[in-house]
Amino acid sequence: MSRTATARVLAAERSALVVILAIFLMPVAWLISTAYKPMSDIFSIPPTFLFTPTLANFRGVFHYFDLPHLLESSLIISLGSAGLSLLIGVPAGYALARARTKWAIGIAYFFLAVRTVPPVATLLPFYMMMRDIGLLGTWWAVILLDTTLNTAFVVWMMFSYFRSLPKEMEEAALTDGCTSFGGFWRVALPMVKPGMVASALLCIMFAWNDFLYASFLTRADSKPISVALLTAYGTKDITWGTLGALAHFSTIPIVLIALLLNRYFVQGLTRGVN
Amino acid sequence: MGHALNGGRISGPAVAVPGGPKISHRRRRQIFLVLLGAPALIYVLAIAIWPLAQGVSYSFYDYSLLRPAKTAFIGFDNYRALWANDAARNSLVTTATFTFAAVSVEFIFGLAIALLLWRDGLFQRVCLALLLIPVTVTPVVVGLVFRALLAADYGLIGYYFSAWGWSNPRGFLGDTATALPTLVVVDAWQWTPFMALILLAGLKSLPTDILEAAEADGATPLQRFRIIILPMLLPAIFLALVLRTMDAFRVFDIFYSTTNGGPADATNVLMIYAVKQGLEFFNVGFASAIANLMIICIAIFSVAFIALIRRADRRANEL
Repeated sequence: MSRTATARVLAAERSALVVILAIFLMPVAWLISTAYKPMSDIFSIPPTFLFTPTLANFRGVFHYFDLPHLLESSLIISLGSAGLSLLIGVPAGYALARARTKWAIGIAYFFLAVRTVPPVATLLPFYMMMRDIGLLGTWWAVILLDTTLNTAFVVWMMFSYFRSLPKEMEEAALTDGCTSFGGFWRVALPMVKPGMVASALLCIMFAWNDFLYASFLTRADSKPISVALLTAYGTKDITWGTLGALAHFSTIPIVLIALLLNRYFVQGLTRGVN
Repeated sequence: MGHALNGGRISGPAVAVPGGPKISHRRRRQIFLVLLGAPALIYVLAIAIWPLAQGVSYSFYDYSLLRPAKTAFIGFDNYRALWANDAARNSLVTTATFTFAAVSVEFIFGLAIALLLWRDGLFQRVCLALLLIPVTVTPVVVGLVFRALLAADYGLIGYYFSAWGWSNPRGFLGDTATALPTLVVVDAWQWTPFMALILLAGLKSLPTDILEAAEADGATPLQRFRIIILPMLLPAIFLALVLRTMDAFRVFDIFYSTTNGGPADATNVLMIYAVKQGLEFFNVGFASAIANLMIICIAIFSVAFIALIRRADRRANEL
């Protein structure tokens, strides 16, 4: 191909990407901008694109919602679940990667299969379990159930990370008199930090964005922000503007974290391709 | 693998110390690994598999939380009711249609976007990072945003479609004919970037020498794509299709926050149906039967997909 033709192809590719990007970012841009729109502009007919920005919707959020408490619920549920999942999932991933029985790969696939179960299948019996032991309506109920899916994910992720580690360093450490635990803790673990960051990120994202489990397992005083968003919709004082403002606290933090830690986010999503 | 361990002093039989039995290092290593693995396995068995087993047993009972005293074993009656029930069959067809349509749309656009992003450069990397934003947005919020955008009376998109006569006055989500296709678009908005990402990772792992050789041999871009790229990309393609099919099949949030199964059951996917039956009408037995039907479906296509992946892997290795 001549140089001008190549340049033309490049320009065409870039313009196509810009158009695609605009399409995919438009709804997010709308969500953010709605939060700054005065009520009259949100419902104007035909819809308006220009408006005088206002912070009234944010005042509405603080007026109608106990925002600190909602954020507290979301944080406790997502950090609790991510922490618990890493705590039990990382060692299990290591054990499966290092075990020399043919059962190991089978168990790894078992964890993968757990992730594909439709949530409603576990939710129903779990709901009654929690009701019977009195945990229904508490953060614990959501954390425990979110952690099953997250643990299954972490085990599978870390299994593939540990398996791709060169074994020589660990073996050298072991022959040098390092204990099995030392080999895991001081040699293998530091080498899979990117994998752990990626796992943590996706666990937090899953639990933070989860709606189904949280909406049926929590009560008004323990519900996270994802549930508040939907239950607020349709009550008469809550406008799209208020929801847009509330979404600033529910959606934007995760979007920003994913952008900041993009490398880990991408690693977490694409693990298993290569 | 592990030969050094076998030969080393770790796994060799321990020297017998006088005064007591001593377990071998190999055995100690095994016990250590079991101890590391056991918590996660026990946890998942107790909190995921035990409830699942209970769900299977519920599905054989006429069990409603509204009249728990009347619980009775009824064998396969819930499944028979599921089979005979028009709403249930409609729900299964709706779910299958949605899954197939959403995954197809996401695959076609995802592949196109992946090919556009393949060139390595700052521009492409920034595009990819921004393109992944929809994946991170809370699904319930995605539903609400599209509901607002598509509202026929004031929505940024819906108003014009309705004013130009392209949609009926209730909007795309309020019409039985267009509600499901609209939700396919919503799902595609959120997940096409993910599909593109997986396919892009697959593209980037292709051996460059073969691609360059093909280019040097004068193969046209289309030939290169059809004869070389596509067959070698098959494992990544299957992985992307499996991941998305599993998730699309159990879609819930965007349906719940937009149509909640309506209008007139047009978007009543299995998850919505099961949640309504179980947690709103408290027909635990029947809802469990629906959930188990979903597990059976997922099991069938995972086995089929895994077989396909194995074959594609073998073919890719032969190339």
